This record gives sequence, structure tokens and C-alpha cells, in this order.
Amino acid sequence: MERTSPIMRIAAYVFLLLFAAFNIIPLFYMVVGSFKTESEYANSPFSLPEVLQFSNYSRAWEIANMSTYFMNSIIVTFGSLIVTVVLGALAAFFLSRFKFKLRGFTYALFLLGMLVPIHATLIPIFMLMKNIGLLDTYFSLILPYTAFHLSLTIFILEGFMRGLPRDLEESAVMDGAGVYRIFWSIIFPITRPALATVVILNFIYNWNEYLFALVLISKEAVKTLPLGIASFVGIETANLTLQMAALTIALIPILIFYLLLQKQLVNGMTAGAVKG
Amino acid sequence: MHTLKRTKLAIFAGLLPSLIIYIGIAVVPIAMSLYYSFFDWDGITAKEFVGLGNFTEMLQDDIFWLSVKNNVIIMLTGLVGQIPIGLLLALLLNRSLRGTSFFRTAGFLPVVISSVMVSLIWGMIYNTEYGFLNSFLSVIGLESWTRNWLGDPAWSMASISVAYIWQNCGLYMVIFLAALQSIPQEVNEAAELDGATGLRRVLSITIPMIRATILVSVVYSISNSFRVFDLVQILTGGGPAHQTEVMTIYMYNSAFLSREFGFGSAVSILILLFSLIIISTINRFGREKDV
Repeated sequence: MERTSPIMRIAAYVFLLLFAAFNIIPLFYMVVGSFKTESEYANSPFSLPEVLQFSNYSRAWEIANMSTYFMNSIIVTFGSLIVTVVLGALAAFFLSRFKFKLRGFTYALFLLGMLVPIHATLIPIFMLMKNIGLLDTYFSLILPYTAFHLSLTIFILEGFMRGLPRDLEESAVMDGAGVYRIFWSIIFPITRPALATVVILNFIYNWNEYLFALVLISKEAVKTLPLGIASFVGIETANLTLQMAALTIALIPILIFYLLLQKQLVNGMTAGAVKG
Repeated sequence: MHTLKRTKLAIFAGLLPSLIIYIGIAVVPIAMSLYYSFFDWDGITAKEFVGLGNFTEMLQDDIFWLSVKNNVIIMLTGLVGQIPIGLLLALLLNRSLRGTSFFRTAGFLPVVISSVMVSLIWGMIYNTEYGFLNSFLSVIGLESWTRNWLGDPAWSMASISVAYIWQNCGLYMVIFLAALQSIPQEVNEAAELDGATGLRRVLSITIPMIRATILVSVVYSISNSFRVFDLVQILTGGGPAHQTEVMTIYMYNSAFLSREFGFGSAVSILILLFSLIIISTINRFGREKDV
């Protein structure tokens, strides 16, 4: 690497530290505030809490229905994740390992989905879910999440599977194994690295999704975490420390997930952005 | 060996579920949006055909143009805020500094958090009475600078833009850093031998080397700017008095608050058109320069 003059080095550090502070302070401020009483927060917003008010957390957990929201988010996120990855892998398998007439067209059709802003489909999807009676159900979210993430999923998996050597299936074909057997016992397991990327991407996109949930879900019992917490904050406007506690609760799982899987997450999300 | 016919059937069966879900829920609705856009319709009573009426009504609506203007502001925030800051951070981190991984982790954190969380956190920062920003300004003696950051029309778009930069510049930082690290070491060594150092080297060698990545980021940033919704919806809901409304909010409000499904569909078609036109223009412009 190159040599840098001391002044440049200091300037670089100052800029980077300011940037890191800019990124971390809002979160830190929120976590500290979540442990204060309301009056303590109002009077001395920058002090550390005198006593850690864990009661904020238990109250936020109760009042904000956090357990319901978490449960719903888990069901919707993993439901659509499993459907997307299994169906996407199957489609990618046929698109990458077989020749057939409409192969190019089908592939292009799937890729087109990465260009479509979901807003352009929101009203028809709302009408569709209303007409088939799926509004306020998990399926009303699982279906669009799957539909809109199939494109990127197929794109990533197809690219990986295409790169696998041709003779991989050959001996299995000799043994008389069917195509689905080849998929499940040979191609699917080998695709693991690409599957990991796709699982992480789908997880984070589904977990964070808001717009579809806002339009398709109105019942408290089916609300996902982003939707639930947004409406909670909208109602509890006067109680900032309670809001902070609720937000911190929502932040913790994603923070742990990020710190554990940082490398895969960063690589996956940048790939998702660049290709999408 | 299995027969050709059975394989064909297997291919069909394997692709069918994905195709049904994808076409039924992502492709057909676009056509439906286009169809709805020619009608006056509240989603319940019978549709009334109005031809291009929704579009002409929209183009005469000042609030629509206000939302277009705000989308342009968001787009420029991405182009002159997020991308240059991301690039600068990547250039700094590409040197042999200590703590690179810490800055990377901190920088990417907002990208991982949901935009709902980002919006709610910034909502608390901007809170007029007890927000971080106003409290901080009071503590350092700049009481006169405190204001209603989201409620003051002169500041509300700027406040949203800062949150938008916070949310995304880490993403560009990581994208550019990956591109910088893929520049072969020989290029840098050759440049050093030729006496190209510092800023000159960055401008005449490094930046051209990652041109393709910059172009991709520009396209992504623009298409992203048309999709901004959560941030504005939660921070201001488009207010005060439509001052921060962007096209997606305009569409959401007309469809789901005013129950004008035909009109809302027309807005969504226009959003789709705008973003496709801008992206294809940039792609063409970028490709021409490659030749």
C-alpha cells in the first residue's frame, strides 16, 4: 500500500471518525435514552441514566405487542424465504442446466422483475388480495415477497449453477436418476455458497419490508415488526423513552445478525444492489 | 436414460410454480395498473372510463409537480451526497489505515437496519421539543438554531435528505471499496513510477479505473430515489402541506387515503415510466463513452 503524509493521515482519520460518530451516535443516544425515566430524559438528554430503567423495556414489550409482531415477522420472513429459495433454485436449475426452446425468453422475463418498482403493482395486488380474500393474512405478504425476490434469487443461483462442470450430472444420468433426483441430491447441495447469499438477502429484505405490509395488513394480530413498530410510535408520541425501548428491542436481533454474518451480509447486499 | 418427453415435462413442471407466482403477482399487475389508469374508480363501485383524463388531471395538479420536484431533490441527494461521500470514504479506507474494518462495520450498519427503523430514529433526532438535534444545539449555545426540523417547510426536505444520506452512503462506500481493491497493484506501481501521486492519481487513474462501478452506482441511486417511500411516509407523511411529498407518497395518498384507485394507478405508471426513461438514458450515455 502507498505511503501517506502525516497530515493527510490525520485528515483522513478525522473524517472517518466523524463519519463513524455520525453513524453510531443516533443509535447510541437511542439505547441510552431507552434506560431513562421520561423526566430524566427531558431534563438532561445527554447524561447517562441514574438508574437503568428496565421497566421501559417490559412496558414497551407489553404495550407494543412486540411478541406478536416478532412472531408475525418470523412467519412471513421465513415462509417467503423458503418458498422463494426452493422455487428459485428449481427454476435456476432448469434454466442453467438444460436447453429448451423458451429458455432465453423465460430467463429474460425473470430478470425484468429487477427493474420493476413495487409501487407500480401495489394497487392491483391490493385488489387481487381483496378479491381472493387474502387481505390481513400471512399469504398476502408471502406471495408478493416471493414474486418480487424470485428475480434476484434466480439471477444469482442461475449464474452459480451455470458455472458448475457439465459432467457433474453425467454419472447420475447413467445410473438412471431422474432430473428431480439430480437436482436434490447433486446440484442443490453443491450450490450452498450461492444459496447462503440468497437466503441472507431474502431474509433481510423480507424482515425489513414495510410498504406491502402497510397496504395489505390492517389487523393488529397480523402486523409485522416494521409495520407494528411504526404504528406504535405513531400512537405513543408523548412517551419518547418508551419509543426508544421498543426501537432498541427491534434493533437488537438485526444487530446480532449483522455482527455475526457481517461479511456475507455486506457481500450479498452490495451484489444485490449492483445487480438489481 | 430418461426420455426427452419426460424431461420436457419435468422442465415445465419445475418452472411452473415460479412463473405462476412471478407473472401473477409481479408482471400482470403492471398491465392492470395501466388498465386501471384509464378509469375513474374508487375500488368498489363500477369503473368509469375517462381515457387519459387521470393523466391530464395529474399534470395540472400543483401537488404532483411539487412531488416531482421533491423526487428530483432526493435524486440529487443521492447523486451529489451519497455517491461522492461513499467514494471519498472508500478512497480513504483503501489506504493502509488502522481500524478499516471498524469503519466498514459502522458505515454499513444503517444499510442493514430497516428503513422504518431509520425513519423512526431520525424522527426522534428531529423531534422539536426533546429531539437530539435541538437538545444538542441548546447545550452548545446555539439555541437560536433550534427549529421544527420536519415541520418547517424551509428545512423539511433538507432534514429528510440528511436521513437519506445516513441510510445509504455506507452501501456506496462498500461498493466502491470492493472496486478499488480489485484494481491491480501494478497499475498503482506504474502510476507511482510515472510520478502521479495524491489527488492527480486519484482523478486520472483511480476514478477512470472504477468508471463502470460508478455508472452502476449512479443507475442504482437514481432508481432507488424513485422508490423512496418509507422514509418520507414515516418522517413527515408528505407534510407540512404536501411540502415533502414525493411521487410514491402522492400515489399512496391518492389510492389508499382518497380511494382514487384509477388516479393512483396513473401516478404509478408515470413513476415507472420516469424511472425507466432516466435509467435507459444513463445506460446509453455510459455505453457511448465506453466505445
